[in-house]
Amino acid sequence: MSIALEATGLTKTYGAVRALDDFSIAVPTGGVFGVLGPNGAGKSTLFRIALGLVRPTSGSARLFGAPAGDLAALRRIGAMIETPRYPPYLTARDTLRMLALESGCHDADINGWLERVGLGGAADRPTSGFSVGMKQRLGLAAAFFTRPELVILDEPTSGMDPAGIQEIRALILDLAQREGVTIILASHQLEEVKRVCDRVVILSRGKIAAEGAVDALTAGQARLRIVASPIAQVLATLGDKGQADGEDAALAHIRREETPALIRSLVEAGVEITEARWRDADLEGVYLKTLEQTPQDQAPQDQTGTI
Amino acid sequence: MLVDAIAAERFRLLRDRSALFWGFVFAPLVGFFLNIGGDLFLRGVIKRPMPGITVDLTGQVLKALGEGASVMAALFLMIGAASVLAGDYRWETWRLRTPRNSRLNLLAAKLIVIGEALLWTLVLTVVLTLAAAVIGAGINSKAIVLSATGSGLGQVAGVFLVTWLEAMSLVALAACVAVVARSPMAAVVVCLIVRFVESILASTLGTLAPTPTWKSLLIPAYDADLLRAFVGAPSHAGLDAGPAGWALLALIGWIAVLTAGAIVLFQRQDLTRE
Repeated sequence: MSIALEATGLTKTYGAVRALDDFSIAVPTGGVFGVLGPNGAGKSTLFRIALGLVRPTSGSARLFGAPAGDLAALRRIGAMIETPRYPPYLTARDTLRMLALESGCHDADINGWLERVGLGGAADRPTSGFSVGMKQRLGLAAAFFTRPELVILDEPTSGMDPAGIQEIRALILDLAQREGVTIILASHQLEEVKRVCDRVVILSRGKIAAEGAVDALTAGQARLRIVASPIAQVLATLGDKGQADGEDAALAHIRREETPALIRSLVEAGVEITEARWRDADLEGVYLKTLEQTPQDQAPQDQTGTI
Repeated sequence: MLVDAIAAERFRLLRDRSALFWGFVFAPLVGFFLNIGGDLFLRGVIKRPMPGITVDLTGQVLKALGEGASVMAALFLMIGAASVLAGDYRWETWRLRTPRNSRLNLLAAKLIVIGEALLWTLVLTVVLTLAAAVIGAGINSKAIVLSATGSGLGQVAGVFLVTWLEAMSLVALAACVAVVARSPMAAVVVCLIVRFVESILASTLGTLAPTPTWKSLLIPAYDADLLRAFVGAPSHAGLDAGPAGWALLALIGWIAVLTAGAIVLFQRQDLTRE
């Protein structure tokens, strides 16, 4: 399996702030790779270094084995970094034409891609009048229309309505599964990441806090949610395996086979149980738990603004 | 590839009608209308034809080209050049463009496209000057002569080239300022101030010390004036070519140094914010 993006010992500092701190990762070709992390975790800095927009303080990034910024490697990738912006006097079609000329991609299917991202009707309108969602759609077309092997997408659905998000999610999955494009996706929408990504990495303070397949990260994280009264009695019974979840519920960190014994002991203690249900772990839970375990008090303020 | 970057930059400038008009068309148009206006005013004041006066077409073209990089012309040229050079900072579009071509090609393409647009501006200046001269001659019944002083096409071409080089030295400076300041306004203001100071120094030195020194040769406007005087002078004047050669080298040197500076700065620049 070849490596699409490889970072080795990557460090980037902005004054006293470390946006990336000795960061290493290897993203294989194929599938959708998610990059998660709070604002300032280093996601956009990683992408900007990979694309040659920013120089690392130390370490190196390679795309398809070539150094970051290498023109031949860049021609194999597409990218949308943060909210895309365009010269306001250009129409959507002209924007793609200009980028096609610049990429030396003279046979790009501009009209087809404008249709595919839902901008067919707005192709000849200046981008100055576009909403954030429309700009995102044009950014996606710009990332994909040169038929790259690797696409880096930073918050691709930010500013989109739910229908638009679903549409773009379907497009990303289609490109990854049917056309074999490798996609690296950064998003704060964890449900979106869970649905489209095979593997994820969680960044915190410029370092990897967790990495692995989505299924592997969420395995063993299921919780029994008990709605009962008095809840204090439930928490007392659970001891350090319990955690309050609102005013009338508790989360039990136990194995599934311990459920009957727990219910029995609660009933014997006079607790009235209204509901007891196993809640599957979601990526959000894993994400929040991972970040809780990483000190955030000195989270770097990334100068790109929207990491 | 550089050709791809040039094609993209040219396409973009042709769509940026505001920069195209104010930067590269407005100054020659103003010159044209001022010439016509002057002739109409003369006609209105004198109220009779002036058959004895001639219009020297070559002389008028040489004069108009000589003013092609004046402070006023530079103001408009800088508006156009700055929107090309710093537009990607202003609109935050480097993030869209730098992953598609090398930085060297992208910046070089901007300078080449501005140089190309500047050539068209000077061609337009020549055409409109000739048109204004012919129209003005018609208005005031002046006789038209191709060249009253024996100046020829070679001299026009020479002055054309010198003015283009002088303007390109300003464009190269604008490239440096645009990269450092990431702002079109900074590029316009700094270049305009530099051009103004240059013109003052050039005219002062030209009057006080007519013989060029290495210090005076460091002023691009002085070099250009020297070169224009040399190229535009009648062939029988027999001016010494030595100082003109040094002036040409100095002018080309400034363009090369400033262009290289802009490219080196841009290649090392973090595009964390644009």
